Amino acid sequence: MVSSDYAIQVRNLTVSYGPKPALLDVSFMIQKGELVGIIGPNGAGKSTLMKAMLGFVKRDIGEVLVFGKPVEQTRGMIAYVPQRGTVDWDFPVTVADVAMMGRYGHLGWWRNPSKADVEIVDKCLEMVRMSDFKKRQIGQLSGGQQQRVFMARALAQGAQILLLDEPFAGVDAATESAILDVLAEAKKAGITLVVVHHDLATASEYFDKLLLVKQRLYAAGPPDLVFRQELLSEVYEGRLKVFTDLLKG
Amino acid sequence: MDTLYTLFIDPLTKIYFLKALAGGSIVAIVCAVTGCLVILQRMAFLGDALSHAMIAGVGAGYLFMKLVFGVEAAAGAMLVGSLISAFITVFMIGFVAKVSRIKEDASIGIMYTGVFAAGVVLVSVFGKYIHIDLMHFIMGDILGISDFDMVVSAIVSAAVLSVIILFFRYFKITSFDPVMAASIGIPVLLFKYVFTGCVSLIVVSAVSMVGVILVVGLLITPAATAYLLTDRLEKMMALAALFGFTSILGGLYLSVWLNSAGGGAVMLFATLQFLAVLMLAPRYGLLADWQRRRNMVPQQVIEDIIASMFKSAKPVADTDITKYVEMKPKMMRNAMKYLIEEGLASGTDMYELTDKGRTEALRLKKAHRVWETYLHYMGVPDSELHEKAHVLEHYNDLESIDYIYEKMGYPDTDPHGAKIPPVYSDGSFCLTALYGFSDKDVEIVSVDTDKDVAVGDIVRIIHTDDGWSVQKDGGTIDLTDSEVESMTVRFLS
Ligand SMILES: Nc1ncnc2c1ncn2[C@@H]1O[C@H](COP(=O)(O)OP(=O)(O)OP(=O)(O)O)[C@@H](O)[C@H]1O
Ligand SMILES: [Mg+2]
Repeated sequence: MVSSDYAIQVRNLTVSYGPKPALLDVSFMIQKGELVGIIGPNGAGKSTLMKAMLGFVKRDIGEVLVFGKPVEQTRGMIAYVPQRGTVDWDFPVTVADVAMMGRYGHLGWWRNPSKADVEIVDKCLEMVRMSDFKKRQIGQLSGGQQQRVFMARALAQGAQILLLDEPFAGVDAATESAILDVLAEAKKAGITLVVVHHDLATASEYFDKLLLVKQRLYAAGPPDLVFRQELLSEVYEGRLKVFTDLLKG
Repeated sequence: MDTLYTLFIDPLTKIYFLKALAGGSIVAIVCAVTGCLVILQRMAFLGDALSHAMIAGVGAGYLFMKLVFGVEAAAGAMLVGSLISAFITVFMIGFVAKVSRIKEDASIGIMYTGVFAAGVVLVSVFGKYIHIDLMHFIMGDILGISDFDMVVSAIVSAAVLSVIILFFRYFKITSFDPVMAASIGIPVLLFKYVFTGCVSLIVVSAVSMVGVILVVGLLITPAATAYLLTDRLEKMMALAALFGFTSILGGLYLSVWLNSAGGGAVMLFATLQFLAVLMLAPRYGLLADWQRRRNMVPQQVIEDIIASMFKSAKPVADTDITKYVEMKPKMMRNAMKYLIEEGLASGTDMYELTDKGRTEALRLKKAHRVWETYLHYMGVPDSELHEKAHVLEHYNDLESIDYIYEKMGYPDTDPHGAKIPPVYSDGSFCLTALYGFSDKDVEIVSVDTDKDVAVGDIVRIIHTDDGWSVQKDGGTIDLTDSEVESMTVRFLS
């Protein structure tokens, strides 16, 4: 099989920040156009796995291939929306400015954004339903709205792979459905999506495939394979009741 | 006329003044533009560090030329020396912050005082070779600027300004979101170094004008002034440049009038300018903030006004409202302004609720009556019901009210027998709740009938003597009372 049939391949990945590894011997493959959820308890290494897929963290061992090429050589192919933006919210940029940053990778050194770029940005803001806020300074938005602006920026990048770290955390029902629409639309356009997700109740409904992570990769595959009593109770110690309910329902 | 002439025109005829104005403006403008990025990256302290550290380089450069070539006060060597010492300082700051747990701010503090101290020791130990007037560096001398300094700062300024303009987008994204910038392949670290280099250059060239102590002010004060006025980096830089120029212009006049040191006057003017903007800025200024607070009308008062207007069938005047809701005339004016802006009321002297206002009034009424029902259920004596509910009705979050209403089992009336208005959290209401809608188009939100009326239809509904007639697409459909009671509609906004 040609390796670049896969959007992302992770092989024997180990990452550690201190003496105890945050990720240990993780291997999986994600096919092009799949909508994949990463689940696992707090501190399981989900965000670390995302950063590893972007080449942002140092790997102890293992490799990450993006479309068959080492991740270091594939800058710009993956767009990423972090869990918590670390940006300065008082920075003098507007929503439209931030979304336009998604196009910077395509602009070349001197060229100014063209009409086409502006149209792309408008479309992306429209998709996340933030068109009405274009002129608003980025700090003067709610957390969910800020999250959506960063999603628009990631879409504007036109990347083939989109990584979203907990896009559904702390958003209301309307925003959640807006984000789901965006995911569906991106999937239709053939974009590979990897999403860190916290809510087990909705995970099986939202994603084609799940990765269950807690330092190691406990399971990978379609939701009904991953949602097995013994797996979940091992990963989420002590919160068994919830899962029995979940598995029944 | 004469005094005006001496005050404003006379200085302009003096060569030294013009030179200071030209040289100072160039440097101040570039400082201000660079300063925007400096304050956004929270590097203000770095400017200070660089200006102090360069003293060591000036001393070393002087000494080197004197001892090796026997040249006295070689300006070029002192300049190169100061740049070298600035770069060394920056490098050491980064190095210490990187290899140890010392954070960058502390690292700056250690390194610049260290390098500055080395400079001071150097200059005093070799005092007999070095004839540097330290005061000159500390205070600067904008009014006695040398041709060499002028040429150097012009070149440096032009170079720094072109770098910033050419790479503007990259400086913007690397300051705002370095992680994202790196992910699309922008060399973040390189830009950081280039930028620090630019800051060093511009600081070194500005020191000769305003001195070591004041240079950081020239870097950040005009930029900070601009920051109070805009939400876009492009505009912020343009405004900062303007404020940089006015600082020099105003400062120079000030120094001539008061016969004071040029650098001090410039920074004093820049600071006063900042304070003035801080007071008066339309959005982020203190005055605007104070005004906003003063004009704010408590939500509770707004709601009470709406409720009192709803009670009266005809338009009301200010005085009618103040009978029910106690407040000062000024607050009354602001409240009416707010209601009209929000589209809740209309009118100039006599006010009337709009459709939106009346729906809001019904919502409040519902909140009041639902609370009363709830309190009654909780065993609160009837005599206290109204008063307590009047306080609670301001907790009228739509969903919560609907929730309590549901828990109470959707009662039709409150304990006093008053009807609970059928209005709902999605902004819809039942037609029986509101009169006077017959001349308006409404959207059907829910309906239970087998006649040709469906959810989402835009219709016009008229109450006739023998029932209700719905006008839809030119046709008319008659509905019974019970069908209308089960139907909810919403005004088109
Ligand atoms: N920069 C860091 N330095 C040191 N340790 C870190 C760092 N980032 C994460 N860790 C540790 O690595 C482990 C995995 O962290 P990670 O952020 O990947 O978890 P997560 O699954 O995303 O958790 P959450 O659900 O809370 O977002 C945790 O034990 C965490 O304490
Ligand atoms: Mg995380």
